[in-house]
Amino acid sequence: MSILTKEKLKKTVTSPSRIAIIVAVVLIVASIVRRITGADDITSAGATGATLRFTIPLLMAGLGGLWAERSGVINIGLEGMMIAGTWLGAWFGFLHGPLVGFICAAIGGALIGLFHGFLVVKIGIDQAVSGLAINLLALGTARYLSSIYFAPNGGDISLSPQVKQPGVFSVPILSSFLADLNAKNIIVISDAAGILGGFVTEVSYATVLLFLLVPISTWLLWRTRFGLRLRFCGENPVAAESLGVKVFRTRYIALAISGMFASLGGAYLCMVSASVYREGQTAGRGFIGLATVIFGNWRPTGVLAGSFLFGFTDALRVRQSTSVHAILLVIVILGLLFAMWKLFQRNYKVFGISALSSLIVGVIFLKVPKIPDEFVTFFPNLATILVLVLLAQKLRPPAMLAVPYREREEGH
Amino acid sequence: MASAVEIKGIEKKYPGVVANHNVTLTVQKGHIHAIIGENGAGKSTLMKILYGMVRPDSGTISIDGKDVVLKSPHDSIALGVGMVHQHFMLADNATVLENVILGSEPVSFGGVIQHTAARDKLIEITEKYGLDIDPDQNVAELSVGERQRVEISKVLFRGAQILILDEPTAVLVPQEVDELFSNLKDLTAHGLTIIFISHKLDEVLAIADAITVMRTGTTVASVDPKSATKKQLAELMVGRELPKRREVSTQPSNKKVLEIENASYSAPDGREILHEISLAIHAGEIVGLAGVEGNGQSELIELIMGLVKTSGGTVSILDEDIAEMSSRKIRDSGVGYIPQDRQRDALLMSAPLWENRILGHQSTQPMSNGLWINKGNAQKDSERLVKEFDVRTPSINVMAGALSGGNQQKFIVGRELSGDPHLLIAAQPTRGVDVGAQALIWNYLIEARVAGMAILLISADLDELFNLSDRLAVISGGRIVAILDPEKTTSEELGLAMTGEKIA
Ligand SMILES: Nc1ncnc2c1ncn2[C@@H]1O[C@H](COP(=O)(O)OP(=O)(O)OP(=O)(O)O)[C@@H](O)[C@H]1O
Ligand SMILES: [Mg+2]
Repeated sequence: MSILTKEKLKKTVTSPSRIAIIVAVVLIVASIVRRITGADDITSAGATGATLRFTIPLLMAGLGGLWAERSGVINIGLEGMMIAGTWLGAWFGFLHGPLVGFICAAIGGALIGLFHGFLVVKIGIDQAVSGLAINLLALGTARYLSSIYFAPNGGDISLSPQVKQPGVFSVPILSSFLADLNAKNIIVISDAAGILGGFVTEVSYATVLLFLLVPISTWLLWRTRFGLRLRFCGENPVAAESLGVKVFRTRYIALAISGMFASLGGAYLCMVSASVYREGQTAGRGFIGLATVIFGNWRPTGVLAGSFLFGFTDALRVRQSTSVHAILLVIVILGLLFAMWKLFQRNYKVFGISALSSLIVGVIFLKVPKIPDEFVTFFPNLATILVLVLLAQKLRPPAMLAVPYREREEGH
Repeated sequence: MASAVEIKGIEKKYPGVVANHNVTLTVQKGHIHAIIGENGAGKSTLMKILYGMVRPDSGTISIDGKDVVLKSPHDSIALGVGMVHQHFMLADNATVLENVILGSEPVSFGGVIQHTAARDKLIEITEKYGLDIDPDQNVAELSVGERQRVEISKVLFRGAQILILDEPTAVLVPQEVDELFSNLKDLTAHGLTIIFISHKLDEVLAIADAITVMRTGTTVASVDPKSATKKQLAELMVGRELPKRREVSTQPSNKKVLEIENASYSAPDGREILHEISLAIHAGEIVGLAGVEGNGQSELIELIMGLVKTSGGTVSILDEDIAEMSSRKIRDSGVGYIPQDRQRDALLMSAPLWENRILGHQSTQPMSNGLWINKGNAQKDSERLVKEFDVRTPSINVMAGALSGGNQQKFIVGRELSGDPHLLIAAQPTRGVDVGAQALIWNYLIEARVAGMAILLISADLDELFNLSDRLAVISGGRIVAILDPEKTTSEELGLAMTGEKIA
């Protein structure tokens, strides 16, 4: 019985076509709902732009979490690293412009990442404890430094002076073409144009550069020697070490990257999403970043999808409240479609859960005229829990995630 | 000729144990050098020292005539040493190819892995040495035998000159062992040196050019395989006479404990793995399941343990259909289970031994009252297991991972025989245990059988199957192809049946 000759059992539908189908379905549903409810904002270029601005910081935190976790270390300290990023970005951005702000945030974040590495890899402190310590430390230090540096420069203990934003650009012809198309109000086409328009109109250079870190991460982690070794440090460090991989060093590098990314996310938050540092600006985004890692099944593209989901709801909250109501209808329809698909596959359990939850949301849509803001904020968290429940068996966390590893651990 | 490896005066202490004491070993270049010894004699420790994974407290090592200091496997790999570990060193969540190339990835500029080149090289190696594996499969989906082959390919891929094989044959059936050995002979003909550890003395006598015996941490004898006998080796290892096998004369009763009727199983991707299996095991009966690994044995076990569901037919235990029962329920109804891969499926490596005693019994008396676990009972019973099953350990409070492989196995066998199960699924119950412990475990299994336990014995070891079974069921291609009487069957006939040939 030769397994080599056994036919390949690649059962996964090729993902690009799958994504295309999903995107098309979502678009059509959104378009119909916009017609029905008149909530024009859900497919406007403005909404996309806002979504992007809220997505990037989460994406950076998520990617940071991903790099750390793929190497086997949980980075609860993402929030603290983001805080460091906001502060450093604001201060150096204020002094020398946004570019220097971003660079300093990156360096600072990497150093904090290395510090986390020192605590958990070298000293062997519990990973959660170290992460929490970093969060607390960052919070206190930022406030202390603000009182020293911001207060005399037109800010105060919890506020920086105004920071210049990095430049923006619109793709010349495409941008106005899509805007025209959007204005024509043709079903589906105008909606697509609206959404796409947001990606090419008044986009910050920072957005583009940071966005590129998604494919770069994928490429590094899955195509290079360094990435392979890093992933094995998360899957089976004993095996990796037995083949000569330097587990400690690899984890240090992973954590430096992790800290750098989270900190860049913070810098983006204060220089692009806003133009000032405010205390509490990160508002738990580091933790949401951790959630997107789970949501995204420890893959960069998955993290991106998760960040979009959270970023989108964030953006909605600050725009029209009618949109929120309309989005409920989108969820109901998509949920029912999903349920039908599962019914077709004879997966009755998932069918039941998704059909029931869609119906509940449906009832809310009909009965509740205005959705409280609090619920909107909470929605992505709910979505993450749903993903965990529905897809738990398909999630593939690194096998040795958060398991402390002592180098040359003997035995086994 | 310069010796490939020379080890002198190696010492290694662990808390409460001296793992290696004044070890001396010389291995000639181009030899197949066997190292034998009881469980816990310090064989693996010595090999890990030679591989740079464990640092000795004192002593010297020289490779190819040069004194070396090995700080990590990195150093020994650079010197051309490769090791196949006693326990798998694989990442489940990665492909075979990734596992194989890790650490010596062919890369182009910028550290980009050359996947195609790596893949071609691996396929070339697997074809050359008849190692049947698929580079693109996830390791999680592989059977134990396939994992073993991945481990061997790993070493070959690195082009090591000195190969250390720590019990490479523990899970291979005779045909596969023969294949492996002819490959090894090939390698030594090319000037490679092989050090291998095995508890199968026939095997050792057949292939080794030199034998070193270890006992309680030290090397006690060098033996010439040409003149040695199995009995001599065994006595050198144990330092005393082997326990005698018990003779039994009881007949199985006719009470069916396990009954499988026309059970089929299809993998999630639709391939049919088991086809209409029918098999019954009675109280007081041992049924040996023989077959080349990968012919559905693992899936059959998983069916019985409720880990996967049948796609047709029924499995019942004591006349109760298990279709709707969870694994937990099945176990609680009186089923013991010795899995094939002890570290993966039977132990918590970084939990103390007494906690491991509770595993599988965590919801029943006397290990727990369903809510709280009973630490006192668990510790008391662990002490009993350590004594009765001759588990060599400094105490029951050490981590399971600190025990030598064979001692882990003995502990698991003891645990699964506890609590008087009606049915025992024993997959490779003596994998990696020394000849003394093997006799001990066999005696316990026979004792349990006499007391009325029904036992399904899955083993790659034909001796074990012949010695213990009342009946032999042969599985091939997911079907039971023959039921044989061990008294009236020769091992050649069994071998033929396993490979799917008709018996005349
Ligand atoms: N990491 C460790 N911590 C503590 N004790 C250990 C450790 N590794 C091995 N030992 C102890 O060292 C002794 C030798 O173990 P080793 O694994 O070398 O035995 P072995 O000869 O390979 O046995 P087996 O045939 O069962 O594999 C045993 O008593 C074992 O308990
Ligand atoms: Mg060993």
